[in-house]
Amino acid sequence: MVGILDFTPAIVLLPFVSFLVALSVGDRLPKGGALAGIAATGGSLALSIGTVLAVAGGETYTATIYTWAEGLDAVDLTFGVLIDPLSAMMLLIVTLVAFLVHVFSLGYMNDEDETGLARYYAGLGLFTASMLGFVVADNLLMAFMFFELVGLCSYLLIGFHFREPGPPSAAKKAFLVTRFGDYFFLVGVVAVFATFGTASFVGSESFPALAEAALRGEASVATFGFAPGTWFTIVGLLILGGVIGKSAQYPLHTWLPDAMEGPTPVSALIHAATMVAAGVYLVARMYGFYAISPTALAIIAFVGGFTALFAATMGLVKREIKQVLAYSTISQYGYMMLALGGGGYVAATFHLMTHAFFKALLFLGAGSVIIAMHHNEDMWDMGGLRSKMPVTYYTFLSGSLALAGIFPFAGFWSKDEVLYETLLHGLDGDPILLAAYAMGLLAVFFTGLYTFRMVFLTFHGEPRSGTAKDPHGVRWNVKFPLAVLGVLAAVAGFVNMVPVADVTGLEIDFLHKWLEHGFEGLTVEHYGTLLHDFPAYGAAGVELSPLLPGAVSLGLALAGAVVAHRLYNVPEPVEHTDRLGGIKTVLYNNYYQDEYQVWIANGLTRPAARVANKFDGGVVDGVVNGVSGVSLFTGDRVRRIQTGVVSNYAVLLTLGLTALILAFGLAGGWFA
Amino acid sequence: MVPPEYYLLLSAAVFCIGLFGILTRRNALLFLMSVELMLNAANINLVAFSFVWGNVTGQTFGLFTMALAAAEVAVGIGIILVLYRNFDGVDVTDATTMRW
Repeated sequence: MVGILDFTPAIVLLPFVSFLVALSVGDRLPKGGALAGIAATGGSLALSIGTVLAVAGGETYTATIYTWAEGLDAVDLTFGVLIDPLSAMMLLIVTLVAFLVHVFSLGYMNDEDETGLARYYAGLGLFTASMLGFVVADNLLMAFMFFELVGLCSYLLIGFHFREPGPPSAAKKAFLVTRFGDYFFLVGVVAVFATFGTASFVGSESFPALAEAALRGEASVATFGFAPGTWFTIVGLLILGGVIGKSAQYPLHTWLPDAMEGPTPVSALIHAATMVAAGVYLVARMYGFYAISPTALAIIAFVGGFTALFAATMGLVKREIKQVLAYSTISQYGYMMLALGGGGYVAATFHLMTHAFFKALLFLGAGSVIIAMHHNEDMWDMGGLRSKMPVTYYTFLSGSLALAGIFPFAGFWSKDEVLYETLLHGLDGDPILLAAYAMGLLAVFFTGLYTFRMVFLTFHGEPRSGTAKDPHGVRWNVKFPLAVLGVLAAVAGFVNMVPVADVTGLEIDFLHKWLEHGFEGLTVEHYGTLLHDFPAYGAAGVELSPLLPGAVSLGLALAGAVVAHRLYNVPEPVEHTDRLGGIKTVLYNNYYQDEYQVWIANGLTRPAARVANKFDGGVVDGVVNGVSGVSLFTGDRVRRIQTGVVSNYAVLLTLGLTALILAFGLAGGWFA
Repeated sequence: MVPPEYYLLLSAAVFCIGLFGILTRRNALLFLMSVELMLNAANINLVAFSFVWGNVTGQTFGLFTMALAAAEVAVGIGIILVLYRNFDGVDVTDATTMRW
């Protein structure tokens, strides 16, 4: 019987078709191919809803679609799909956000008379298709290929306004920085193939399952002279390189704020559902492999916690609305990494989901504001927009409350669970997790502060410029996506109200239930067993009510919001951050991250490259040239025996024959 | 019956005369004649061994070689003719254009 899950490849192919349509005939279509894109992502969304319903009914699906390299006594390289609760949930998120971004683009691009619309919609289609292909990938190599495609599309879209100086440079930076991480990922993929002979995510022959069996002593794999645990940690960290690049974690986060040069709907797509989410999703997808490595988990948690705090502090001082959102994205993905490292698999997926909704909402809201402000992004030129664009204001407020983690909006539930899980496992006696938790907790305060600073500066107070007094109106195609996401940002948290479930005893932690079924080895219970057996998370049996940590983080978020209210919710706000003096300069310049990375490139890599060039030019080329020089010289001498005089040849022939006869004679013993 | 050593001596002598001619003469016609001498030295061997072993294959082979030699002379004369046209003489040491 053909079920809905057999149509899974169509979810990926529909946006790809819209890419082809926009690319080939987009110029001649009305709206520059937007309608094809909307139709395709709408179709994907419908299919994804069907997929989610089928998965909710207990179905799962995995199939190999195409074997593109058949190995003889070696590995087959294949494309396949894997539909389980995790990927079904992600499909829904990606298609929903992509659909809404396409609709929003009608308002942001078409109504603003941008040129090159066909190119824009082709990019959006390919971007969506790549991310969907990545989500359904059933093996690591396929995931890597689509991971790279996502990176390529981000390059194309960030650099959309390629005639201005900023976007092409930002696009190059985004591509190069994420590529730097992807080198490690590629090495990791090869290491996985070399170690396990497979890169499959699912089944008893998948690489997480084999790694677990090897650690339990039930199977053996090639670990190249390392202890299995050490080697798996190394491989895991190599793959993590790609994750850190794509998910913009410290120290490879520098591309993301620059990526704001792209059109705002693209920023929404990149930050909410596609590129940046890819990294975290990859860790969640192969969580069975990370859960067996305590070191890798500790590193993930620490990097995540650090990034969450680090980015939040930088978000405090930015002037442009999109810059604030960019740093909030880095910070929020830090939380997801913190959750994954802290053993909160469900918490991380939960935060991934709620963040996708509220961050897409905030970016689209910012896009709406930018339309109204005639493409001026400076918050100090805004103010008082609340009464002029109420739909944008209230939806943006919903997203901001979710981002800050204020009860009962979506972000509260997910961020609270992230912190709770980390604290719970940190209290087992893991100081690194506790340190990561402390940084994450501190970041909650800063999140509340920068979020509401942004809200108050943009929407409250008196208009601070002519355009803010008389903003440009927006149409339904902007308001509709905002309304959908605004509702989701408010209510999405209700799918997993763990504290409430804990107190009342009601079975309302639906996301936990959702992730409990699926393929054996890819479920929450299995990950729980792994986390208990290998990094010994929860082994000490610490009991902790989720209420107190929840209250603490809510209190901190509210404190941040209240501080922002006191400082910025006044008719004529001033730049209070100026009082920070030198600290502000450091923050405003992003802790000089770009400068030190440029210094590494110029001060270390370039001299090293110069030495390597010298070695190449001197030694390697010297040997090659020397060999050819000797050949030329001897050839020049030896060729002179060809005199052109026949008699000389005859002499040589005769002498040669004589020598030959003598040699045979000596060897044959005639003269003995 | 004449013992085969005499045939071999004769053949060796003819061969050496031919070789001497090739190594010392400069006239292309004498060159060609010397080559013919060496060829015939080989022929003598063929016939002689054929006679000693009582097998006519060698003598048949000798006939073939003569036919071959005739063809070779035709080619050789042709080369000499061209040599004469291009270098105004038949001195083999003059034609040294095919060298390094």
